[in-house]
Amino acid sequence: MKKISIIVLLTAGISFSCNKLVEEPSSLITAAQFYKTSADASAAVSAAYSSLNSDIANDFPIYGRNLNLLTGNGSDDQIFSPSNTNPDVRALGTATYITSNDRLKKNWQQHYYGISRANVAIDNIPNIDFDTTLRARFVRESKFIRALLYFNIVRLWGDAPLILHDPTTVDVNSLKVARTSKDSIYLQIISDLTDATNLPKTYSGADKGRATSGAAHALLAKVYITRRDWTKALAEINTVINGGYGYALFANYKDAFQKPTKNGAEHIFSVQYETNLGAKNSVQWLSQTNFGSFNPAVYPGDIPADSTLYKLFAPTDTRRDVTFFTTLYNAATGQNVFFGAPRFAKFIDFSLSPLTNQAQSGINFPVIRYADILLLDAEALNEINGGPTQEAYDAINKVRTRASVPNLTAGLNQSDFRDSVFLERRKEFIQEGMRWFDLSRRGGTYLYDALKIYPAKTGAAVKDTLYPIPQAEIDLNAQITQNPGW
Amino acid sequence: MQTKITNAFKPFLTTVFFTIFLQLFLMAQDKEFIFLGKVVDEKTQFPLGGASIQIKGAYHEVIADNEGQFIVKTVQKFPFVISISYVGYETKDITVENAQKLTIGLTETKNKLNEVVIVGYGTQRKSDITGSVASIPKNILSQPAASFDNLLQGAVPGVAVTQSSGQPGSTATIRVRGGNSISFGNDPLYVIDGFIVYNNNSYTNTGASNGTGVNALSTINPSDIESIEILKDASATAIYGSRGANGVVMITTRRGKKGSNDISYSTYIGRQSINQKLSLLNASQWASLVNDINVSDNKPKTFTDSAIAAFGEGSDWQSAALKDANIQNHELSFSGGDDKSRYLISGNYFNQNGTVVNTGFKRYSGRVNYERNISDRLKISTNVFGSQTIEDKLFGSPYNSINFSGAYPTLLLTSPVALIKNADGTYNKTSPYSTTPTNPLLDVYETTNRSNISRVLGSISAEFKVLKELVLKITGGADLINSKQNYYAPSNTGSPAGSSTGYQAGSYASVGTATAVTWLNENTLTYDHAFSNTHFLNLLAGYTTQYQKDESVVATGQKFPNDLTTYNNLNYAATAVLPSSDAHKSVLNSYLARVNYSYLHKYNLTISGRADGSSKLGANNRWGFFPSVGLSWNASQESFLKKFNPTISNLKLRLSAGQTGNSEVPPYSSLAALSPTNYYFNSTLVTGISPLQVANPDLKWETTTQYNAGIDLGLLSNRITLVLDAYYKKTSDLLLNVPLPFYTGYLSSLQNVGSVENKGIELSLTTDNIKTKDVSWRSTIVFAVNKNKILSLGNGVNYYFPIAPLGLVSPVIVQVGLPVGSFWGYNTNGLLTADDIAKGVPILAGVSQKEGDRKYVDYNGDGVISTADKHNLGSAQPKFTYGFSNTVTYKNLDLSFLFQGSYGNKIFNLLQQKLEIPTLSLNASATLLDRWSTTNPNGKFPRATNAPVAQVTDKYVEDGSYIKLKNISLGYTFSKGIITKIHAKQLRLYVSAQNLLTITKYSGYDPEVNFYENDNTKQGIDYGIYPTYKTFLAGLNITF
Repeated sequence: MKKISIIVLLTAGISFSCNKLVEEPSSLITAAQFYKTSADASAAVSAAYSSLNSDIANDFPIYGRNLNLLTGNGSDDQIFSPSNTNPDVRALGTATYITSNDRLKKNWQQHYYGISRANVAIDNIPNIDFDTTLRARFVRESKFIRALLYFNIVRLWGDAPLILHDPTTVDVNSLKVARTSKDSIYLQIISDLTDATNLPKTYSGADKGRATSGAAHALLAKVYITRRDWTKALAEINTVINGGYGYALFANYKDAFQKPTKNGAEHIFSVQYETNLGAKNSVQWLSQTNFGSFNPAVYPGDIPADSTLYKLFAPTDTRRDVTFFTTLYNAATGQNVFFGAPRFAKFIDFSLSPLTNQAQSGINFPVIRYADILLLDAEALNEINGGPTQEAYDAINKVRTRASVPNLTAGLNQSDFRDSVFLERRKEFIQEGMRWFDLSRRGGTYLYDALKIYPAKTGAAVKDTLYPIPQAEIDLNAQITQNPGW
Repeated sequence: MQTKITNAFKPFLTTVFFTIFLQLFLMAQDKEFIFLGKVVDEKTQFPLGGASIQIKGAYHEVIADNEGQFIVKTVQKFPFVISISYVGYETKDITVENAQKLTIGLTETKNKLNEVVIVGYGTQRKSDITGSVASIPKNILSQPAASFDNLLQGAVPGVAVTQSSGQPGSTATIRVRGGNSISFGNDPLYVIDGFIVYNNNSYTNTGASNGTGVNALSTINPSDIESIEILKDASATAIYGSRGANGVVMITTRRGKKGSNDISYSTYIGRQSINQKLSLLNASQWASLVNDINVSDNKPKTFTDSAIAAFGEGSDWQSAALKDANIQNHELSFSGGDDKSRYLISGNYFNQNGTVVNTGFKRYSGRVNYERNISDRLKISTNVFGSQTIEDKLFGSPYNSINFSGAYPTLLLTSPVALIKNADGTYNKTSPYSTTPTNPLLDVYETTNRSNISRVLGSISAEFKVLKELVLKITGGADLINSKQNYYAPSNTGSPAGSSTGYQAGSYASVGTATAVTWLNENTLTYDHAFSNTHFLNLLAGYTTQYQKDESVVATGQKFPNDLTTYNNLNYAATAVLPSSDAHKSVLNSYLARVNYSYLHKYNLTISGRADGSSKLGANNRWGFFPSVGLSWNASQESFLKKFNPTISNLKLRLSAGQTGNSEVPPYSSLAALSPTNYYFNSTLVTGISPLQVANPDLKWETTTQYNAGIDLGLLSNRITLVLDAYYKKTSDLLLNVPLPFYTGYLSSLQNVGSVENKGIELSLTTDNIKTKDVSWRSTIVFAVNKNKILSLGNGVNYYFPIAPLGLVSPVIVQVGLPVGSFWGYNTNGLLTADDIAKGVPILAGVSQKEGDRKYVDYNGDGVISTADKHNLGSAQPKFTYGFSNTVTYKNLDLSFLFQGSYGNKIFNLLQQKLEIPTLSLNASATLLDRWSTTNPNGKFPRATNAPVAQVTDKYVEDGSYIKLKNISLGYTFSKGIITKIHAKQLRLYVSAQNLLTITKYSGYDPEVNFYENDNTKQGIDYGIYPTYKTFLAGLNITF
């Protein structure tokens, strides 16, 4: 009896005691298990794309409001909305932001986050054994995204850390690097984009929305324009226009911001959004912050600086009522609601019912539209030839004609034509993440002269032509220097 | 008769003592006698070696040998009186008539010294303990409570308990001697009848439901609990190694007693009502506010004067959602035993209706405790309990979400002008003044937000005496938690928290289940030996292994054709939301050992150590070793102090040092995890997969080094007892998310850096103020000071801001030199005057502040109010906490009450801030009646203007000090004579009240509030919690 019980007890004890101290996660993929198949490669590239339309902490994505807070509130298009409770958002609109501004930090973070995802794809995919054509394409798509993000970084902050590989350690000291010069970063961007020009011209079916060779050429054009390398820019522009890509302006300006026409002839590269995917839905915050309710007393998150922006447009300009609304139809009450001062309408998804359900917006963010290329064409020709050529007029007038605006006054000198192009860009691309870049790339006092027109922005100064490096980054790594004036 | 001399006469005797002493001394030169004797335990006849024998009045004492034998040589003449004493036994005086050998039996004392206390993996005489161990007093443990963690508050020093909210069944934050960790696991470890339970509330929160977390501890029936001990210092907790740093709560449930068969029924019923309501604007006051906003924004007034007058009181949304509610508890138990077996079988039903409509908490539970001596050498026992709890919650932000939303704040913020019901009795769902046109009261009524939790915790153990003094104990057990959460918002309700659904979605259903299983096997060998009854040795060695696994699933559907099937059939949903599932497993293997040594129960030594291997830590650092040493000295047993007995009836000094750990990181924290993201090609979802974190194979536990010094003092036969402890704790290798340079693409990585210290003093003073046959009065004061400070955050990091809700600025900072989670904001100095504006005092950067706006203090003096002017506004951690409990009995009547309080803690009243922002759509606090305007230039609150910037200011970081009359009860126990007629053994009736009185300056519902529940960096934030209530109860306990 006793012996039996001892044996039973010991057996019970021992049989319990065989737990091994190893982690074999069943609910988690780890890096060691991944990057083995073409499907893994595809997922790695999709992750790089998704850095454009989503944020890991459900903050505003780069191309879903966050970049706009710098390029919109930081420009003369917007100040801030009374509903902005975050003082850092307000500070961006009043040129009173400081180096610890949380929106600046978030933008910086999100850009490098996307770059990291692209780096991981670029580093790992060549080691996977699958179709070489597809493999090369995946790497080139990732390079396009890396170049796009570095192009934003170098324009917003100037010199910046140039990171091309994923870290292999968590030791902060061995992760410290200094800023790389603007020129070196541009070399990397150009090199990545040059490789990306080997991407397919178009995609069919399930791949629509991926980066194309046309997108790479278009982005190269924008890079060269920013670098004032007019000749190279023009070459890229001509490739985009005449390279057989089939790009064209939509007949209706509105179609550039509608779901049925997404990834259409005018869209060279867009960040994708979709409706009704439940938890997998990335929120296009530009839709949501443009329209929250039918209550005129409640302000949306982003509003025009003042009515002058609205008044830039001739009443016949078809862009005006696509870009703004003053009255909306409330299907629930069957009444039109008048909102008073104009509010942004461009990114409201009008197909949604009820309209207040903008978290479900499926409006893509057009990063590069054909209209952009046409206006850059006009600009480059004007710069190269010391004044506008007929070709330059033709380019800008295509954009104006589509908007039902008369042709630009003929016979302008170079300077006036340049101003006209920039004005046209402003009207064409409200809320499309362009304005601050356009103001800053003209150099000199142009940016802050434009800002100072607004009493709220009188503090704008030369230091504002580059944003400050986020303070947290400098606190962590003394090798990172601050931009002048900060 | 002299053997009957009781303590009451002793002070009297001491005075006589010296007279006798003097006489004896004079006689000292006489002839020597020899007297032999033996000291035994009167009950067991076991010899008591080490007992001391002293002739009354003589100078020296002799000590009994191993066999209890002693020889006294004396010159005294018979008869004389000897006094025999032994630790834990009543001292006995005997008159010796002649030299004949005497056997003297001593009886065990009933005083506390001899009590056996439950400690880790065993029991120990209270007198031998070297560590800091506090027992929850019986009178507090017997108070009615929904969950036993409610009872720990104010009961012992150094245990701070804060209820998260008034939601029945909600969580509480429990901290033993402050929080050691910044990011993970500050909860104590629970050991229930020897079974180790780390209370992980995420096991009971699947993600389908929302609102406050479900408290996993509330699954346990508090009236099953016989005793609770809190192990506080390293000497006591190091035996729990990597889980001992936050203290250990040892819970022992009731068991049957030998020689009885009892049937007990106990019950109470009661009524709860809300403590207080917030004062908000009524309809006409709100309409005037809206007009004022319009005027200051140069816009036309919304309401005419006659319209304002006509609004009158309007809708009182707050009151409409509150009600008085019932609470009841029933319990039936059978217990008893004989020489070989002991049993307890109990069943419990508890039902607490909420004071907010459509909320409540129910528990059904049962327990079987059984043990049997199969032979002289083998004993088996089992403890099993099962329970089901059903909690209907007020919906709000999802569990563990940082964002603010919730039914309750929405109710408070809804305009009083909006009608609750239409003239025809239906709920009104239109409001031109509301941003979200919903009826929050309807939403609360109609929304189902239910958590069903089933839990079985059972263990079986066998104790086998391998040798007479060597016991092998093998325990196997399991803790199974199964949660099913159901959420349904019908088509006529508004948005549930955190998602754009409700009216927009048509209807919204979500179901989730989570199962968590913990298997535990413990094998210990205990060797217990007394050498010559002078050296007492207890050795413990063991091996334990624990396996944990949890799995969860959540599925959600939207747009149902009707509300008939609610959450029960998601197939009817027109829109399916992506389901999700998760699973984790982890293993903890441990070796443990302990030496308890005592010399004569005077000098005591405890050395313990545990080696823990955790699968959750990095591959390079899985094993940790946690040692401790403790010393104690029962000084009152020394002869030089014995003569002060019973003036100084007990004096014990304790000293301990040791290391314990914390490894409560989620599984897989050290791995290079990849996470999914979404993108769309051709309008079709594709899943991206990318790194989430960089691998850290060096990840290890946090180590807390703790030093403790304590005094236990008993005066006047222990009518006054004092326990005083001082401690210092330093927690290093903190598990912190170390910020990485953003350019790496990663925000942070979990690493071991930084340190936090906690130091404090704890005091517990119990006095028997009156102790007579008919009347007794005992008071206990507990008092604890804890100072928490961050010593380092590692790597040159001086501070960081915990993640704030989207679009808001973090109200708290984690900064070196400050307590964890200090509030960070601006000082204010009244309102801006015209004079200020003229003088150009500093104003908020980027805001055109005007006369009547809030005036901020330019803390750094740079002439502008910017984020650089923010500074420390205090923390949620109290300067000290205290409790004052009393039990008074008069004949059969008993009265007890407990005051409990906290001093110096701050609360960020985010709700009040929100209620004091004047908007055109939301209701506001009645304080805004005193707003500045040209007609009220002395108003204390800022002028009415649309959307001022909400800032964290000292205005809303309020003093959260409070004192509460936690409970008071009056009972009557019937005399034997009366109840024997109904064949009862015991009958007690009582009435009781809880939370009857709260004295505080805090302006919110209750200073006990934690919107973020267990998040250590965001303690003391109030965003419209479920309001608290007072309870009146009447109860009955009867035993047959």
